[in-house]
Amino acid sequence: MNIDFNKLFFTFLGLMIVLNWGLLMSALMRKIGARVAKRYGIPWFQPWVDLVKNYAIRSQITHGVMFYLGPVFRLSGGVGLFLFMPMVFGSDLWTNFSFKGDLILILYFQFFGMLGMALGAGEGGQPHSFIGISRGLSQFTTIEVPMTLAVIAIAVQYQTLSISDIVAAQQGGIMNWTVFTNPFATAAAMLSVLGAFGHSPFNLVKAPNEIPIGPPTEYHGTYLGVLRTNAAILHVVEAVLFMNLFFGGATTWIELIVKSFLIYFWSVFVGMVFPRFRIEQSVAWFLKIPLILGIIAIILL
Amino acid sequence: MENLNLEIITLITGVILVLIGIWGLLTQKNLIKIVIGFTLFDTGIHIIMVSIGYVKNRTAPIIDQSVNINDVGNSVVDPVPQALVLTAIVIGLGVTALMLTYVLKMYQKRKSLEINNYNDLKW
Amino acid sequence: MVGPIYIIAIALGTAFSLGFFKKANSNFSFAFMLFAMAFMTFISGQWLYAFLTQQQETIQIFTAGFKPPFSISLQMGLHESVFLSLINIIGLLAAIYLYDQLKEKGVQMMMIFVLLFMGLNVVIMTRDIFNLFVFLEIASIATAGLIILDKSINATSAGFKYIIATGIISGILLIGIIAIYYFAGSLFINDIIKLNLIYVKGGAVAVFLVLIAIILELKPFPANGWALDVYEAAHPGIGAVISAASASAGIFVLAKILPIVGDSGYYIIGLIGIITFLGSNLLGLKQDRANRLLGYSSIGQIGLLLTIIGLTPYLGDKTLFIAFGVLISHALAKAGLFWLAGIVNSEYIKGWAAIRRKPLLLVLMGTFIFALVGFPPFPSFFAKWELIMQLANNDKIIWLALILIGSFIEGIYLFRWFGYAIKEKNEDLPEFPIKLNKVIPVSIVAAGLYLIGYYTGLAIPEAAIINYIPLIFIVIIFALDFLPAYVKNSISILGLAYYSYTIIPAYFENDMLRFIFVVIFLIGGILTFIAGYAYKGKRRGFYPVALIMYVGLVQIIQAENLLQFFFGWELMTAGSYFLIIRGKKSMAHALSYMLFSMGGAYLILAGFALAQQGQMSLSLDVLNSISNNAFIIISLLMIGFLTKTATLGLHIWLPGAHGEAESDVSPMVSAILLKAGVFGLIILLISTIKNIETVSIVYILGWLGAITALIGNLGAAFQEDAKRLLAYSSIGQLGYIVFGLAMMTHLGWLTAFTYTINHFMYKAILFLTIGAVVLRVGTHNMYEMGGLIKKMPFAFIAVLIGIIALSGVPPLSGFTGKWLLYNAVILKGWYFQGAIAFFAGIIAFLYLFKLISSIFLGQLKDNHRNVKEISIWFIIPIYILIIGLMIFAAKPELILQPMGDIVAQYFPDGGLNWDGGLATTPIGNWHGTHIMIIVGVMFMLLLTWLVVLSRKAQKVKQFNIVYSGERPFTPETTHISYNIFAGYNKALGFLVMPWITNFWNFMSDIIHDTAGFVRRIYSGNGQTYLAHIIIYIVVVYFVFFN
Repeated sequence: MNIDFNKLFFTFLGLMIVLNWGLLMSALMRKIGARVAKRYGIPWFQPWVDLVKNYAIRSQITHGVMFYLGPVFRLSGGVGLFLFMPMVFGSDLWTNFSFKGDLILILYFQFFGMLGMALGAGEGGQPHSFIGISRGLSQFTTIEVPMTLAVIAIAVQYQTLSISDIVAAQQGGIMNWTVFTNPFATAAAMLSVLGAFGHSPFNLVKAPNEIPIGPPTEYHGTYLGVLRTNAAILHVVEAVLFMNLFFGGATTWIELIVKSFLIYFWSVFVGMVFPRFRIEQSVAWFLKIPLILGIIAIILL
Repeated sequence: MENLNLEIITLITGVILVLIGIWGLLTQKNLIKIVIGFTLFDTGIHIIMVSIGYVKNRTAPIIDQSVNINDVGNSVVDPVPQALVLTAIVIGLGVTALMLTYVLKMYQKRKSLEINNYNDLKW
Repeated sequence: MVGPIYIIAIALGTAFSLGFFKKANSNFSFAFMLFAMAFMTFISGQWLYAFLTQQQETIQIFTAGFKPPFSISLQMGLHESVFLSLINIIGLLAAIYLYDQLKEKGVQMMMIFVLLFMGLNVVIMTRDIFNLFVFLEIASIATAGLIILDKSINATSAGFKYIIATGIISGILLIGIIAIYYFAGSLFINDIIKLNLIYVKGGAVAVFLVLIAIILELKPFPANGWALDVYEAAHPGIGAVISAASASAGIFVLAKILPIVGDSGYYIIGLIGIITFLGSNLLGLKQDRANRLLGYSSIGQIGLLLTIIGLTPYLGDKTLFIAFGVLISHALAKAGLFWLAGIVNSEYIKGWAAIRRKPLLLVLMGTFIFALVGFPPFPSFFAKWELIMQLANNDKIIWLALILIGSFIEGIYLFRWFGYAIKEKNEDLPEFPIKLNKVIPVSIVAAGLYLIGYYTGLAIPEAAIINYIPLIFIVIIFALDFLPAYVKNSISILGLAYYSYTIIPAYFENDMLRFIFVVIFLIGGILTFIAGYAYKGKRRGFYPVALIMYVGLVQIIQAENLLQFFFGWELMTAGSYFLIIRGKKSMAHALSYMLFSMGGAYLILAGFALAQQGQMSLSLDVLNSISNNAFIIISLLMIGFLTKTATLGLHIWLPGAHGEAESDVSPMVSAILLKAGVFGLIILLISTIKNIETVSIVYILGWLGAITALIGNLGAAFQEDAKRLLAYSSIGQLGYIVFGLAMMTHLGWLTAFTYTINHFMYKAILFLTIGAVVLRVGTHNMYEMGGLIKKMPFAFIAVLIGIIALSGVPPLSGFTGKWLLYNAVILKGWYFQGAIAFFAGIIAFLYLFKLISSIFLGQLKDNHRNVKEISIWFIIPIYILIIGLMIFAAKPELILQPMGDIVAQYFPDGGLNWDGGLATTPIGNWHGTHIMIIVGVMFMLLLTWLVVLSRKAQKVKQFNIVYSGERPFTPETTHISYNIFAGYNKALGFLVMPWITNFWNFMSDIIHDTAGFVRRIYSGNGQTYLAHIIIYIVVVYFVFFN
């Protein structure tokens, strides 16, 4: 593997853009949430302040090696997804390392961070972490079912698993987007994305009232900073994934920002309206309408 | 009555004895009576055997005054069944004796001759 | 040569002269009798030797110098000499065995004993029908006399029932004989045969009476209550004689008079035989008293022999081989078991648990049980093989099925019994004395079974090429069982290493497919044996059985023909059964494993038989050209193999069997053994690839595989027992393999191979590690563990790598499988099945997280504060496997590229292309090596960053956690593990309700209840038994003359 430093630089730059855009989005989300609840809310730069504060805290404790590695796994998962995701279509520099693997790699690499984080939190020995993780894993299994069907549907539709090729196939006008060419697959995927982003009604994992923020309960200071960084990156990258698969991808950063904002805030807005599900409800929910939509998408192939 | 010659009568007698014997074996509850049923059954068989070997108007296969010494083959009945019956009687005797021994042993142990009292082994 | 007439002379002479001995001289008189028995054995043996080696001709002996019909004639031929030898050897051994009883009862009993055998000898030799009657009666009377040997009231009443029943039967025989004489005018069998009496009006009835009487002597179901009572109540030494010697003689008599009946007799005998075989074995199911159980089994075996005789027209010249094979196995094994019953002296089969205090006796018992059921290398194995093949060749499918069903039912109670002997609690059972004169006969018959089995095998060309050298190696290991475990372990490892050295290179050159499996079996075997060093003491019996399994597995790979394959398959089943039952609570699970394996094996046997039908060959290639009944044949074979891969519906044995096995046995039976089923499936699918029927079968198989993956994984998520969790996980993983194979595409098969290799490695890693942990903490329950990461870091890392690989998270090798699977599914068009498989894959995270976090993370329990790292002997094989896993992850092309070439032979449509490390399919691409490097570099960079930022982090104690200002109470209440997926269970738990277990339990209940109901016909009343006999005669009469 020849190392192309130019490319590495641009990849790093892309990561920074994604990180900052992700932080801004989380500020917007909280702001919107506050306004819906008739509060004023945080200033827009609050996430940066939090991040700097967290990284700066010097009094920290550790519960052991795995506890320590948990956030590393988590952030590696987020950054890895970024690395394997083509960001801007048609640009050689902004496609990162996406030619090393395809959609399947992305789908399974999501687990890398989740699993590592779960293990790290586990070593913390905090009961709330365990409860949060068990809920998270449970919910995730069924979230993936309509998602899998949607992915199979579009892979068959475009006869490829390469994300770049899928985006390429959607170029040339809005009617070429998957959302119009394959509405059922898109609908199934957009319902499962509600769960993937973990907002209400599917936010039982972190349920702040009963199990104070779930898996990361024990994480603080630098660890929390790392987790926050990851959350920002992950939100953008996942939105980009859906953008690439269903909404024609992006040919410029501006387009990427607009589309990822809309995709992300679809789940935020739903979350503002609906109350939280219990775990058995949310697990079952994805096996109802989203599953049926996914099955229709497959049948219509 | 003309048709009822000797061999048919013995045969029928034998069969009846066999049937009585079987009836006794199947219905009598007393061990001794069961053994008697068996001996009736056995005796019936012996009579059947003899009747099968019988040839009309011939005598027993014993060479004495009643047998024409020059025409033994045509003046006596078939000797083989007669010989067989002797063996069979001996065996029957042995079996009956053994049965009675068993009955004795059973009675000694349980003081009962009812076959229904010996149903411990089953299934 | 000593003439056969001397047998009679010696027996009679001995019996008479014994009368002159006084009671005081009992030792001398016993020696005298023994000498007579030995001499009788010698005479018959010498004739047998002459017939076998010197082309001795059959001779006729006429007594008193006359020719028949005026004299009694005896015949001595090969068949007579075989039976005489068998009977006399059993007689000799029985006499030795009964030394104490005979001595106590005195010379009279010895006389009776000798007379019994004289009777049986003449019954074999005589050609005179009345003489036959006389000596049958002598044998009967002598038997009745011997029954009194046991003084109990039960023995006496059983003897009474016996004597009235045989009295009636011999009365019928006598009537028949005299009637035959009436029609034939002769008592010489050879003369009678020529007359074809069956076609003479009235003659047919005469023949029928003789036939039915002889059959009734053989105790056909259901007119056999009297015999069962005798088996139960008589002294086991006598039971052995009745079952082994008298019944053998009876079978011979039947064969002798059969020519009188002519061809019309075969059908009725076959019918009676199969009813007896099925009925007797069925009723045996509910039997819990050992001797009576042996009685049921004896009668069942005789039923099988009757069936074989009845099927003579279809078995042709193979009849003798088959009948001798079954008869010798039955006679020797049943004699051995009866004798063992006398030693163990326990009324109920549960009480046989005492037998394992003497390992030799347990081994002997196992020998007999396996010989009865028909496992290799016993004669019955080869006989049953030939039987089934011949039946298939003659299109006797129903007979074939009934015989297999009967054998299966017999296996149920025999293995249940054997399971009790190995595992039932035996602390409270009384001691039993061991006498040399009792053990020696048992050992001799067992040795005879092995020896005869070997020679039987040589008689079949396809079996003659079986390599017996590994089996001899096993015998040596068995003989060295007294050595400490580490010595035997070393020898076993060396043996397997040498075995690997001799066969693996050739496969690497020529046959990559078999290479992979042989590596899994042998290298896997060596690695799991290394873990065996962790065990102290002697580990009695472990090494021989483990090696039996490995040898069986290799035989399967090496097999060139169907028989060899089946030989290996059964050997592997037997070995793995013993391995599984070694677990502490494994009794029921081992039985269930055995039953599914046996059922599967019989389906395979039936499939093989039907497949080779009409092809005049037993080569594995016959599977290529199945033409008739292809759907049924392929289904049979497939279901047979699926029992070993624990596919849904046939999986219920696996969790218990793997979960309760010993720590180093679980990986053997999980990571390694399950691959045998996969190999079988591959062989089958390769062969039938062009068969049109395969298409619909693999479609069903695909759904089955996917659903198995789902249910297996879902089941694993709800387990609390770590090893059961892994066992359920195996079910799921095998589901993927089956699913991959079922796709019948290039990519599908590559997926299956990848999963096969992966599952071998990560399941071995996980089972070894968890097993080692269990050895340290003393519990399987995950909620009783926790926080072990600091105590056992090596174990933790191993499990971590294992679960990452299993879950399919990049960059480890599990992802290779997932990626291939996605591509294969999309290209194949099996979207729904594929979606189910992926759903299953995600559920895997639930149980994997539960596994690692419940054991290693969370709160350390107080009683584990002092546990140590797992044994080094486990760490070594685990880390060797991890290295292998890592290589496969980083360089998948090393194996997948050659595998692709192999698969391309069968599925040339291609699919996976390699460009260096970059794998591409028509729709996807993936570079394993680079992804590993990218992820690794990124991970290290981020780790460094975190280390720099939080370098001063302070290590804290366990309970230093955010807990609302309170301190947690105890580790037990703080460690969340038990039922952590309760919510999930509420949502989807209905999918893993034990429907299938309930179904099998229901089936089991039905047949047991039927057995319990039907056996009430044996009311215990002698008169009822007589009524059975009478009714039986009437019914058979109408069937015979329909």
